[in-house]
Amino acid sequence: MDHAKLERNGIAFALAILGVASIGGIIEIAPLFTIENTIEEAPGMRPYTPLELAGHNIYVREGCYACHSQMVRTLRSDVDRYGHFSLAAESMYDHPHQWGSKRTGPDLARVGQKYSDDWHVAHLAAPRAVVQGSVMPGYPFLSETRLDTRYFSEALTAQVRVGVPYTEEQIANAAKHAAWQADPEAEYEDDLIDAYGDKVQIRDFDGNPNMVSEMDALVAYLQVLGTLVDFDALNPEEIAR
Amino acid sequence: MTPEKDPISGRETTGHEWNGIKELNTPIPKAFRLWLWISIAVAALYWVFYPSFPYGADYLHGALGYSSREAVQVAVAEGAATRAEAFDIFETKDVNELAEMPELQAQFEGEIAVLYRDNCAACHGRDAKGQKGFPDLTDAHWLWSGSPEEIEYTLQVGINSAHEDTRIAEMPAIGRDEWLEQAEISDVIDYVLSLSGQEHDAEAAARGIDLFAENCASCHNGEGVGGYENGAPDLTDSAWLYGGTRADLRETLQHGRAGVMPAWSDRLSAAEIRKLTLYLLWQGQGDGNS
Repeated sequence: MDHAKLERNGIAFALAILGVASIGGIIEIAPLFTIENTIEEAPGMRPYTPLELAGHNIYVREGCYACHSQMVRTLRSDVDRYGHFSLAAESMYDHPHQWGSKRTGPDLARVGQKYSDDWHVAHLAAPRAVVQGSVMPGYPFLSETRLDTRYFSEALTAQVRVGVPYTEEQIANAAKHAAWQADPEAEYEDDLIDAYGDKVQIRDFDGNPNMVSEMDALVAYLQVLGTLVDFDALNPEEIAR
Repeated sequence: MTPEKDPISGRETTGHEWNGIKELNTPIPKAFRLWLWISIAVAALYWVFYPSFPYGADYLHGALGYSSREAVQVAVAEGAATRAEAFDIFETKDVNELAEMPELQAQFEGEIAVLYRDNCAACHGRDAKGQKGFPDLTDAHWLWSGSPEEIEYTLQVGINSAHEDTRIAEMPAIGRDEWLEQAEISDVIDYVLSLSGQEHDAEAAARGIDLFAENCASCHNGEGVGGYENGAPDLTDSAWLYGGTRADLRETLQHGRAGVMPAWSDRLSAAEIRKLTLYLLWQGQGDGNS
């Protein structure tokens, strides 16, 4: 064929390679320019509280995503088992997002408030003690590890850099807000509701009122998954696209 | 460097030569090339018929106007309609009527077991026998009564749950919040051990009687038999949600208990909750007396 011509014209050949290789990039990047109309209006959606964000980071650190997805697909079997299919808006504040197509354990997109805190704590500490035949590893150390809140303001600032709308006030009070959310007396409930809305769950998640542990953070995160969006207030036409 | 014909195969060479070695310019087999062109054609057709690229403030909808979200909503509605027909009786009759129809068990238990395992088995176990902190649903000991409509109500609103009408039951942290001295708590524990006929110190138990009457009886009843109106457990039987040994009781009195049963009315349909209620009645002695 025309091998000879191509091979003897280096610059044209390089340009041709560049053109072909950028097709994939363009297909992946182009939708980001129209992201405004990709993400639905979802009343109720809000950024994670600092405690929930810490839980998200622990979830990522421990590699939970290797076995659990957080995406209810648009398949009847998924919707029947897990509930409403996931909306783009529901992971708009997830950095990184936790979608996936491989499930060794169940999908967790709507696990929030499905089980009690006590169950989560017992299950994370020793999965087979509560679920017969589970292959999940245990994470008993989470209950014994004090949550390191020193860099929470920086963690929120990092989220702001990638587009999460935390306010100056939320950033400045991040460590305090985390401690308040795990306070068994819920002494600062009003302040937290002012900062994060009335769906914020305030209680001692890990059953140990004397310490804010990594278990508090992870359970607070799991208990909020899929519970924020008010599905009755959605615009069905927009959602059906 | 000009291509030349190879005398043996009859094909052209590439025209290159490396130390006397030349390479045949053999094209890939026709079938492979055909497959490549078919794939490209299918991709092009897919773009025509199905949603593909973003386009301004919208996207290309495709000739068929297909939407996976619309499709799944139709499929789910179809499934719900099929189930409503197959499980018709759970849509139309209330739990009390259903509880009077033991013949339903043979017909529906297998199907409902799937629903139970998806939603309830994590805490209460596949056999519904529970575990520490999560009640056994097969025995005759019920915290909120084993009548069909009370079980149904607990499934709907939960206990200490996020539901606005949740049932609420909390054992206070009598030790931690310093309601009683540690010595007094020991006396109460001996009295509670005596209620269930366990080994106890009779003298301490006698000292515990008044303490129990003052601090515990308002929920657990004067005789310690508990009550369905506030979900307080019967302390005179052998069923213990958090263990009935001296050490277990000390932990309960020291730190309190407030077990959570999630609310299911937002997650399951009314008929599904009715099915699960019936399933539980079939697993045990539903009314708590038989």
